[in-house]
Amino acid sequence: MHYVIIGNGVAGITAAFMLRKRDPHAQITVIGGESDYFISRTALMYVLMDRMNRRDLEPFERRKYTENNITLLRAWVTALNASTRTLRFADGASLTYDKLLLATGSAPNPAPWPGVAHTGTGILNFVSLQDLAKWEYHLPATRRVVVVGGGLIGVELVECLRHHGIEVDFLVRESWYWPMALAPEEGEIIANHLRRHGVQLHLGDEIAEVVANPARQLTAVRTTQGRELPCQALGACIGVRPAIDWLRNTQTPPACNRGVQVQADFRTSLPNVWAAGDCAELPTGQVEQLWYSAKRHGELAALSMLGDAVNYTPPLFYNSAKLFDIEYTTVGVGGPESYFRRLPGKDVSIRIMHETDGTVTGFNMLGSRWDHAWFETWIAERRTLPHVLKNLAQAQFDVEFGRVSLKALGVGA
Amino acid sequence: MIRAGRAQALLHNVKNRGWAAWALAALFTAFYVALYFTEAFTPIAQALGLGSKWTLYGTLYTIAVTAGGIHVIRKYRHNRYQVIRTLVVIVVQCTFAYSIPLLLKFLHQPEYYFSYFWPLKFEYLTPSYLASVPLPFVLYSVVGSLVLVPLLAAFFGKRWYCSWVCGCGGLANTFGEPWRHLSDKSTTSWKIEKVTIHAVLIASVGLTVLLFFTYGANKSDPQLARFTGEFQSYYGLIVSSILSGVVGVGLYPLGGTRVWCRFACPMAALLGIVQKAGRFRIAVKKDMCISCGMCSKYCEMGIDVRSYAQANESFTRASCVGCGMCAEVCPRGVLNLVQIKRAGQ
Ligand SMILES: Cc1cc2nc3c(=O)[nH]c(=O)nc-3n(C[C@H](O)[C@H](O)[C@H](O)COP(=O)(O)OP(=O)(O)OC[C@H]3O[C@@H](n4cnc5c(N)ncnc54)[C@H](O)[C@@H]3O)c2cc1C
Ligand code: SF4
Repeated sequence: MHYVIIGNGVAGITAAFMLRKRDPHAQITVIGGESDYFISRTALMYVLMDRMNRRDLEPFERRKYTENNITLLRAWVTALNASTRTLRFADGASLTYDKLLLATGSAPNPAPWPGVAHTGTGILNFVSLQDLAKWEYHLPATRRVVVVGGGLIGVELVECLRHHGIEVDFLVRESWYWPMALAPEEGEIIANHLRRHGVQLHLGDEIAEVVANPARQLTAVRTTQGRELPCQALGACIGVRPAIDWLRNTQTPPACNRGVQVQADFRTSLPNVWAAGDCAELPTGQVEQLWYSAKRHGELAALSMLGDAVNYTPPLFYNSAKLFDIEYTTVGVGGPESYFRRLPGKDVSIRIMHETDGTVTGFNMLGSRWDHAWFETWIAERRTLPHVLKNLAQAQFDVEFGRVSLKALGVGA
Repeated sequence: MIRAGRAQALLHNVKNRGWAAWALAALFTAFYVALYFTEAFTPIAQALGLGSKWTLYGTLYTIAVTAGGIHVIRKYRHNRYQVIRTLVVIVVQCTFAYSIPLLLKFLHQPEYYFSYFWPLKFEYLTPSYLASVPLPFVLYSVVGSLVLVPLLAAFFGKRWYCSWVCGCGGLANTFGEPWRHLSDKSTTSWKIEKVTIHAVLIASVGLTVLLFFTYGANKSDPQLARFTGEFQSYYGLIVSSILSGVVGVGLYPLGGTRVWCRFACPMAALLGIVQKAGRFRIAVKKDMCISCGMCSKYCEMGIDVRSYAQANESFTRASCVGCGMCAEVCPRGVLNLVQIKRAGQ
């Protein structure tokens, strides 16, 4: 049995280890175009900030792959023929499989603005090792950067740039920071925090046009509000989409919509082909683009490939992030009402969302640490706000001596 | 390295084993060789009115801990564990490890360091030393080394000593801050560490037993006495001078700050065994780790913290000194230093 996995990201590698755990004798090959070894994309920012080096990005020691007899291949796959079970690589080589897992992850959305076609250099993403290398190449000669896109990757990039003393204009289309996840109060806490870190935050503004000089180097960005922002680089952080363009035009494409469409057991429409991670579109139409979900997909897809019955439904949403110095934990969904408290004068706040009858539906916590497992339990048990407030201290996860005082937060008051 | 500008480039060089780091390592090593094996610093100490070269060394050490400590407190001012811990380190160094022994000497008492215990301060549990100091010192040393230190470690982990009290750890966590990430994280290092540190522990326990035995035999066996004497002087030379001083601090800019603590300290070995059986844990929040690796990178003991965090395993490692830096640098708040209620949990 030859298992082949396209994509050496967290979904692909987790699947490979799971396959090996259950099948000691199978041949397992993982193909990756971006890097020789699995890297943690989530830590790209720490390399750009000079707090880690490239080798530190590898979550596993290299010996682990040889010990588990997993073959790693550095190549870009360009074509799939499911009738002959063959893959073709960019260099012309080919490989046959018995069972295939597509775990190709995400690719950045292309820059949509007028002027991009005339700009040769200066528009950069922040998703891959290659993007990281470009930033490292550009930074020494860079004084001003425009970053566009009010999601998490945008803030991470902004933090890196500020770390190196670069002037940053941060364009966020919405009228407060990250309305998809945060209410205006929290949006304002974040906005003020960013400004204190020297970020020129422009809310409610977006790019109208990018401007390049005759040498095709980016020189400025014009916005819809009429700003002209001179810059040497533009960080385009306007979201990612499943990295499946190559699959759409191949001989035997699997059914694709936004991503590769999979059943609840991660099977695609092609025989012997599964998909997992950022590139998979679930039966609900969801594309989960999170580290944890990719890990979980990888594990379950491997079990499905091994013949186990798998029936995946996405769990209750949770995530965490760090926005400069502010840690952020979120669990669940919004509700018609919410309970909000802020530590006076501090970038610390809690918001507990609930139904009109008090049943808690979600949490949005800024500036202190929480064990999300408690939140998940309370939501699953359909607890009401008074119960949650009474037991809130249980879920605190701050460092010793550093526990945020719920009394000072005004909980109970 | 992406940063333009000379100061930043030099800083990167010093912190990442560049030529400047090698130069600094050579300088530290030369300093310790001169200190331990020559009298080069004696005239300087006398000119400064400090009496002996060891007092001069103690003064420099205290300055390094205090200055480095202030830097660390500023850097981690948002983290109360780090602030309080570092304050304690500075205060212990300035009092128990510096001014109190000086005061005792001035009062014609034994120059006793209340923050050091056997087997780190090996002579504090040797028969000849115990016979030479007043009874309160004997009691403090025996009870401290054999009861107090291990008992606290069983409850709080070895951190209460290694990261809060000990001068070696104190210097590492203050002055050594720029180099903490240089520790080697490979499983090979882990294997080597287990062999070397326990070898030193066996040597120190063995030597202590031998000393009492020889003392009891009361020189009736000159061959045994000679053997014990030689053993003790080799132990002093290799462990106390070369490993803890010259190598321990000399390697800061190349191998990270806790080379001595990790590979050779008999106290760390002993407390590590207690810690493994005790209540201290690094708690891992379930399914929240993004495998970024900051925790492993900044672990001065070379523990691959990420390997536990990404596997959702709360853990204790014998070597963990509980400095708390993994929890500090983790961008997702995954880790926490805790005492579990009952052992075995
Ligand atoms: C900067 C950044 C920060 C992030 N931070 C967080 C975070 O804090 N929390 C969180 O939950 N998520 C975060 N994410 C999202 C998270 O990284 C992804 O959800 C996760 O990496 C998806 O894993 P994956 O294995 O599906 O795909 P990927 O990690 O994208 O891996 C896919 C791999 O497949 C390779 N590949 C693709 N096509 C081919 C081909 N045709 N041939 C060969 N190889 C191919 C790619 O090169 C890539 O290496 C972040 C993402 C970025 C970019
Ligand atoms: S620092 Fe935190 S998120 Fe990063 S690998 Fe360690 S535990 Fe995981």
